[in-house]
Amino acid sequence: MSRIAGHFAAIAVLFFGTWFLLSRFDYLKLFRVDELTREAEHNLGELILDELQKRNGELGSDTVYHVVEGIKERLCTANGIADSSITLHIIVSNEVNAIALPDRQLVVYTGMIGYCKTPEELSGVLAHEIGHIQHGHVMKRLRKEVGLSMLTTLAGGDAGSEIARETARLLSSTAFDRTLESEADAAAVHMMARADIDPQSFADVIFRLSRETNDFPKRLEWISTHPNTADRCAEILRLRKQETVHARAVASEASWSYCKRFFRKNSVSVK
Amino acid sequence: MAPGEFFYRPDEYESERASNSYLMSLVVIMAGLPLPIVNVIASAIFYFANRKSAYFVRWHCTQTLLAQLFTLPVNAAGLYWTLGIIFDRTTISNGYVSYLLTIILFNLAEFIATIHAASRTRKGNHVVWWFFGPLTEMLVKA
Repeated sequence: MSRIAGHFAAIAVLFFGTWFLLSRFDYLKLFRVDELTREAEHNLGELILDELQKRNGELGSDTVYHVVEGIKERLCTANGIADSSITLHIIVSNEVNAIALPDRQLVVYTGMIGYCKTPEELSGVLAHEIGHIQHGHVMKRLRKEVGLSMLTTLAGGDAGSEIARETARLLSSTAFDRTLESEADAAAVHMMARADIDPQSFADVIFRLSRETNDFPKRLEWISTHPNTADRCAEILRLRKQETVHARAVASEASWSYCKRFFRKNSVSVK
Repeated sequence: MAPGEFFYRPDEYESERASNSYLMSLVVIMAGLPLPIVNVIASAIFYFANRKSAYFVRWHCTQTLLAQLFTLPVNAAGLYWTLGIIFDRTTISNGYVSYLLTIILFNLAEFIATIHAASRTRKGNHVVWWFFGPLTEMLVKA
C-alpha cells in the first residue's frame, strides 16, 4: 500500500513539476498573443466606426462635441483612466443610442444627447459605456456572438462590407448579457460618484427611457436592448446609497442650453 | 513500466483479449481527444465484458481502466479550461498553455505505453505499469 502511495506521490510531483517548469516560459509573449489581439481590436474598431460614419455621418458642431468630451474627461480623470485612451465619436442619428466599440471607442448618437434632460443624465449613459470599455466587454461579446473565425477575417481586412455592416448592427442593436450589463451599471455608479456626479440621474434616464419605449420602440434603441429596467433602476439606487456623493455641476448651464438649442434647431431630439 | 513474468503462461486467446483491452483505449482516441470520458466508457465496457474472463485478461483490463480513470480528471480539467476560454469566462494565460503542454506530454507518454503494452501482451508477456500495476495487483484477485 505504501508503495502505491509512493508511486502516486511521485506521479503527482512529476505532473505538477512539469506544469510548473513549463509555466516558466512566457508563451503569450512568444506567440505575440497580446500584440495580435490589440492589432485585431484596432482594425475592428476602425472598420465598424467607418461603417457607422458612412451610414450616418459624424457631428460637425465643436461646441456640442466639447460639452460631451468634457463629461467624458471628468469621468475618466476622476477614475484614474487616461482620457486620451478613450476616443469619443458623436454620430448624427435620431436613434436614442450610445455604444462602446472595439479599440476603446465611445460612440454617442445625437438622438441620445438630445434626449437627456440634463448633462448628469448623459454622464450616466457615458459612464455605463465606459464601464463596458473598462471591463473589456466589447471584444468578449464579439468573440462570443460573431465567432473567432469571423473576427480574424474582419481584423485581417479581408472582410466584405456586408460582414462589417452586420457587426456594426450587432453592436448597436443588441445588448450585452445580463451579467455584463449589471457590471457596466455598477461601474457607472461608482465612476459617477467618484466624479462628483449624482448616480440618481443615471437611474432617472433609464426609468424615463423605459416608460417611453412603447411609444418610440424604434428610436429608443439603447433602452429596448437593455433588459429588466425596473431591476436595473433598483440596483443602481441601491449601489448609489453605498457611495458618498458631493454633487457638482457637470457642464455650465450656458453650454448645455446651447446643446439643447442646437438639437432643437437640427430636429434631432425625440421630444 | 516493468515487463515481468506472469505466474502462468496465458494462451493465445487470453493474450489477444488482454492486448485488445489496450487497443480499445487507442481505437477511441480520436473521439476521446475532445471528450475525455469516451475513452473511459470504452475501457469500462471492455472491462465489464471481460470481468469473468481468465485472470490474465481481467488483470490487464483493470490496469487499462485504472489508467483511463486517472487520466480522465486531468484531461477533463483541460477541456473545462478550454471551454472557459472559448465562452469567455477566462482568458488565455501562461498557466493554461503550460497545463495544455503538460497534459499533451502525459497523454503522449500514456499513448506510447499503451502501444507497448498492447504489443507485449499480444505475445503473452506480462506488462506491469508503474503505480497502476501494483494498484491492479491489489484489486484483482486470482
